[in-house]
Amino acid sequence: MSNQRQASSASQVPHLSPAELSYLYTSLSLPKNPIRPDGRSPTQFRPLSAETTILPGTNGSARIGFADGTQAIVGVKAEVEKTVLAADTLDSRSLAQHGDALNREGEQGSAAVSGQGEWVQMSIEIPGFRDDDALPVFLSEMMRESLVGSVAGGNGDAVKEMAGGLKGRLVINKRWHWRLYIDVLLLSQPLAYPLPLLSLTTHLALLSTKLPKLKSTGEEDPFFDDDWAAAEYLYPRSNISKSLSAAPSYPVRPPVTLLVISVGDNVIFDPNREEIAVADAVLAISVTRSGDSETLKLLSIRSIDPPSRLTQPGIPNSENVNMLGATAAPGEETGGQEEVEGVWRPRRGGVKRSVIARMVKTVLGKGGVGEEVLEGLEGVEVQ
Amino acid sequence: MADRRRINGPPGGTRPPVFASLQESSTGIANRAQRQRQPAELRKIFLKTGLIPTASGSSYLEFEPSVSLAAARSNPKSLIPPSSALKLACTVHGPKPLPRSAAFSPNLVLTTHVKYAPFAARKRKGHIRDASERDLGVHLETALRGAIIAERWPKSGLDITITIIEAEDDRWWGDAPDSHDASWGMMNVLAGCITAASAAIADAHIDCLDLVSGGVAALVSDDSNQSASSAPRLMLDIDPAEHRSILSACVVAYMPARDEITELWLKGDSSRAALEKDDGRTGHEALIDGAVDAARGANTVLAEAVRESIARSFA
Amino acid sequence: MAITILPPVVEDSRPYEVDSDDDISMDSEEDIEMTGVSRPHKRPRLQGNSNIGAGIVTPGEVVTDDPQWMRGHGTYMNPLSTSIIATVAGTVQKTNKLLSVHPLRARYTPEIGDLVVGRIVEVQSRRWKVDVAAPLLAQLPLSAINLPGGILRRRTSADELQIRTFFSEGDLVVAEVQSVHQDGSASLHTRSLKYGKLRNGVFLAVTGTGGSGASSSSVKGGVGAGKSASGSSLAAPGGSGTGGVVRSRRQVWTVPTANGGGEVNIILGVNGYIFISKHSEGEDAASSTTENVSITRMEEMVSSSIYSSQNDDISPQTRREIARLAQCIRVLVQSGVRVDEETVMGAYNASLQVDLEIGDDEDDEDEWRQEGREYLEGAKAQQILELVKQQL
Repeated sequence: MSNQRQASSASQVPHLSPAELSYLYTSLSLPKNPIRPDGRSPTQFRPLSAETTILPGTNGSARIGFADGTQAIVGVKAEVEKTVLAADTLDSRSLAQHGDALNREGEQGSAAVSGQGEWVQMSIEIPGFRDDDALPVFLSEMMRESLVGSVAGGNGDAVKEMAGGLKGRLVINKRWHWRLYIDVLLLSQPLAYPLPLLSLTTHLALLSTKLPKLKSTGEEDPFFDDDWAAAEYLYPRSNISKSLSAAPSYPVRPPVTLLVISVGDNVIFDPNREEIAVADAVLAISVTRSGDSETLKLLSIRSIDPPSRLTQPGIPNSENVNMLGATAAPGEETGGQEEVEGVWRPRRGGVKRSVIARMVKTVLGKGGVGEEVLEGLEGVEVQ
Repeated sequence: MADRRRINGPPGGTRPPVFASLQESSTGIANRAQRQRQPAELRKIFLKTGLIPTASGSSYLEFEPSVSLAAARSNPKSLIPPSSALKLACTVHGPKPLPRSAAFSPNLVLTTHVKYAPFAARKRKGHIRDASERDLGVHLETALRGAIIAERWPKSGLDITITIIEAEDDRWWGDAPDSHDASWGMMNVLAGCITAASAAIADAHIDCLDLVSGGVAALVSDDSNQSASSAPRLMLDIDPAEHRSILSACVVAYMPARDEITELWLKGDSSRAALEKDDGRTGHEALIDGAVDAARGANTVLAEAVRESIARSFA
Repeated sequence: MAITILPPVVEDSRPYEVDSDDDISMDSEEDIEMTGVSRPHKRPRLQGNSNIGAGIVTPGEVVTDDPQWMRGHGTYMNPLSTSIIATVAGTVQKTNKLLSVHPLRARYTPEIGDLVVGRIVEVQSRRWKVDVAAPLLAQLPLSAINLPGGILRRRTSADELQIRTFFSEGDLVVAEVQSVHQDGSASLHTRSLKYGKLRNGVFLAVTGTGGSGASSSSVKGGVGAGKSASGSSLAAPGGSGTGGVVRSRRQVWTVPTANGGGEVNIILGVNGYIFISKHSEGEDAASSTTENVSITRMEEMVSSSIYSSQNDDISPQTRREIARLAQCIRVLVQSGVRVDEETVMGAYNASLQVDLEIGDDEDDEDEWRQEGREYLEGAKAQQILELVKQQL
């Protein structure tokens, strides 16, 4: 199956015959009520099992498995690192103000330090792929982007800790910070585009991530409480005082990235391999719940190359040289533009803006799929 | 991630020393570049095809430097240029036969390489493609594959290589690296790559549905006064060095004749966009529309450049 | 609810017990004495122990020291000793004096006469390479297909040049194994009107028949073989067996489906590849009259669609029933029940019955409840399984 992968493409092209593709496309594009090969509704996800805090050697970890046996494990590790001040550029404002008194700079603790996106490192290991192949690189950039990009909007008490989003949380003081390594391991070769699986697992792993409690204050060199029980969650929880039975609520949650495809007029979630193969457009949409408000916030959209562009076209019976009576000259220009019912044509061109808007709306809308997924994830018990 | 077969130099960049006295002797705080264009006004684009004779198609693209940059370059006050403008070259090789080991493909197999020259950005880039360059390559491939009619060239391959000679900055050089560290400059680079690659593909006479061009739009919060009331505004074709805070940005690859988007990359918080009262659009829709408008603008340049190259071949 | 997230299920870790009644009845024809030994022996058996073939052996385990046995598949012998040692994990089978170990789950090994569904992965100058889920790709020579129009002649270079117009990469074919080579790779043919390119339906891959020479009986008595995923609650208690498609009397049949779905063909490839498609009329006429059609009339009978990649018009009802059949097969496979005509039809009827019951329960079906109700999983799958088991 080595030839399923194009040299640099981020998507995989499964081998499917034109007849299968045509059948699938027509089934999935049936108006109102598409028929998915496994009978799911358009917005239904495959059932999955999840658990958290499975790896004792990490700050946080999670495992999610689909019923078909594909599983992902995510381990989050945090390390203390010295912040290199103005490593990249010159802080000219402080220079201008203080002139030669550069060494006094450390004492001015007033200005809040915001984190850097580089402090979050993500690596994805997918069996059968080199770590510099397009797919792992694209996936990790996509997930990291929404992770460091999410900034809390609310002003609640607990939200204060997450003021700068995830990267703000990693700041210890002006000279020290946490560096977060998120290592994603897919345990088998992906049967479908692995994005939803990896994203959901990362989400849970981050929720279960704990950082040791800081004992030092201010600008001292940091030292930590060695009692692991006192460690604090990376993503703070608000109702610790309340009864233990209630699921903890999070003022800020890590984002989730959902894979959405459009086929004909339908918008379909959590597509499997065959369904992606016939998609007109594939989008990865990252959302999160913003602090106080109930609405979802869009963090990023990325289009993914639909593999359908690389598929083999079907030959209509009228042009098939093997058909009885079809004596059409084979030299005739093939690849005509007209669509013949029941014949597969690889998708060409792009996607209309209205389709994109509809796909995003299905995710973001009130009671939309994004909300349901986040609710589902909230139901997972995180120790 | 590193290539284990090669011994690389130390990671991280180098920069010229800047002495504090030099800073003070100049006019105090270095001047931040200010956007002097209208929100919907694009920078001028220079685009020419057929500059590399050995390639089957090629193009060179340059963005006009912002006004303040031009001024600063003619009258340098600091060792570091205050801003940079995009310059890139694109070559297309092919269609050529696929290697024997490759599987049969009924379509043209597209490979894209985007590489920053080591001196392209403020921080030196290594010779091995890093994650962001691979990421750009994937985005570019997605954008182009939607435009190319791949089944016209079965069993053949097309290599598209883009060298970025000068990249866009992610922020003003005087700002601390954490001021807004998302790589906004990369989005401009991608838009430039798409436009240039489209010109080079047309120059190589590969069948396309339409010329595809890239455009960027961003939500920018007004920088001068920090008042919370100033809601972020939509700007087309931003130069990240000219803005203090970019909330979200979007790049599209757009085919005007079909009114279709082949590549979309949007990031950041677009929920607080200041739109007209009667505007029913949400922030992200406005962003996408803005980027499409920018791409339409770039497309006029693109079409003109392609026309010029045809005229040259007749002359 | 769009998403279902379950806590992980701890697999039942009861020690393996042979359900002896069941096993004896299943395997009685092979003349194996089952004694209900509870777990595999790690220790070499005593010489002369007549109790061969009980339970499961693991690789490296001495099956017997008795020199009277001949070694068969799945075993090996040290040159200097007479003991037969297992090389695969599985059950011991005795055929007269031949001793072989039958793996619990094995890949498909082609045998002459097998009806297989395969996917073309490579086109060479005068043959196709076909993926049939075997360790080696099977080959389909250009000379082993019917030419359009049923013309009987030598294949010319013109045919070679347009080889892709017959089958191309990715195409699905249903074929018969014509011969098996020394290395175990198969040579296929499609020289019958029953065989050829597949269209109008969906493909699905499950595990194929376990082990060679298993004739029609599936080897029972294994531990709930691997297919049931850990997280799923589908692993039926006591539902053991290898599952997958087994060689049976009929690999191809037509289902008259409910809900206005019309007739649907099911092709169970012995290799575990399955194709479910709409039944088309022309095909019916062709296959039913194949026997008494003369060679000269072949031309008319090879319907024009033999190398077509254009689908017929298929109604949504038919598509829905095809999807249901596919899921029924998936449910069977996930819980390790063998897949053949009997079980598939049982599961299909059970799924209809379950749907009816649910329909009665919920008169006030609001929208989301109706959503995804065609998805067979969890409790629904369990119910179907139980109904199927009753019939077996």
